[in-house]
Amino acid sequence: MKFDTRTLVLMAIAIVINIVVGQLAVWVKLPLYVDAVGTVLVAILAGPLAGAVTGVLTNVIWGLVSDPTAMAFFPVSLVIGLVAGILAGIGWFRTIGKTLVSAVIIGIISTIVAVPIIVYMFGGVTGAGTDFATAYFVAVGQELINSVAVANLATNLVDKILTCVIAWIIASRMPNRFTASFPFYQKAAA
Amino acid sequence: MIGQGNPHTGKTLLFVPGNSFIHRINPLTKLVGLLWLAATTFMLPPMGMAVVFIAAFAFGVIAGAGAVFVRRLVLTVTPFAIALFVIHGLLIKRPDMIDYGLISLSPGGLTYMAHILVRVAALLTASMLFVTTTHPAILLKSLDSHGISPGIAYLISSPLLLIEPFSARARAIRDAQQARGLDLNGSWKARIKAFPALLIPLVTLALSDLDQRASVLDGRAFRARPFRVVLDAPVDQPYERWLRRLLLLALPVQIGLLLWL
Repeated sequence: MKFDTRTLVLMAIAIVINIVVGQLAVWVKLPLYVDAVGTVLVAILAGPLAGAVTGVLTNVIWGLVSDPTAMAFFPVSLVIGLVAGILAGIGWFRTIGKTLVSAVIIGIISTIVAVPIIVYMFGGVTGAGTDFATAYFVAVGQELINSVAVANLATNLVDKILTCVIAWIIASRMPNRFTASFPFYQKAAA
Repeated sequence: MIGQGNPHTGKTLLFVPGNSFIHRINPLTKLVGLLWLAATTFMLPPMGMAVVFIAAFAFGVIAGAGAVFVRRLVLTVTPFAIALFVIHGLLIKRPDMIDYGLISLSPGGLTYMAHILVRVAALLTASMLFVTTTHPAILLKSLDSHGISPGIAYLISSPLLLIEPFSARARAIRDAQQARGLDLNGSWKARIKAFPALLIPLVTLALSDLDQRASVLDGRAFRARPFRVVLDAPVDQPYERWLRRLLLLALPVQIGLLLWL
């Protein structure tokens, strides 16, 4: 599939937004990533394939410029873009209620993909704040994989709800003149 | 969940300028070598991974990137080591737990911790060797000279060029919003509210440029031909081409052996 020029530019901008948003999360001192806003926005406007490519390239480019461990998590970003695009295609980003349900679905599926990477590649730790929650669940007797899953699911749900709501607000407030050239969005919104 | 770790380092590129023999290797050869090494690391015993780590680190020092390697290793491996020690050494109950009074330690857990740490260190140093000795622009030229489509080249190169201006724009938005009373140090509710106030202007400003950028690209007919011609393509020696083919062939064979044995 060949993307048109506007979609290509949208994807490039979304990749940069994903990377720069990490800086905003540091400024507001929130233990969240919110680094898939660009991916979800592309998925809503241009479909699952564009969303998946944006997600994968975000991790590859982030890995190339500053954090090589980011590359290990490219399947997570791929799935976020793919699932968000599929949900957008069947109209699950039309209202705030549907967007929240979509966010929960994306949060659960991205956790399912992330947990094996965290457990088998990094021994169940991420080097981030979720390790405290993982340690707590292990201390109360849970299996490591269950502890990682629960700790990451909790963080991921909050993270993806914020991500999807922000992407939905941006997409739904864009003027028709802007969204008219994205046939996927027009079809999904109809 | 891009990296699960520290989301931004402040510096845009990890590339360290230099003219070592590692800098001069064709970027595609280094990329294929990194892929092969990453796959091989999972097949190696801990001692083999340690050899990969030491070799990659030594090459990094030879390439003049020793300080960057040490900084990145400390920043990445330290939180991993602490978390692994607490979870695998102290918390997970194993039959070999030894009681030291206040704490109980598991030698098996510590061995597992060392195993994971040496793997993370090996993967990190191998990818650092690629990142610190390969400028993205040279990688792009190498991809272009091997017939990559202009669309893919744009998707890789454009974000690399836009990261710095966007970071500057984000800082300007932060300063402007703070001047209007935005509180970045308040309660967590105030900080959650502050987040969209920073993000939405950044995204909407970026999207407002979209039409102009697309028109410029179309005006230049950047996809008129299936690939771009590079006047100063990175040197690609015949032995490097054979090495890449060999490594690419070895990858599925190794993975097949790993699954079969």
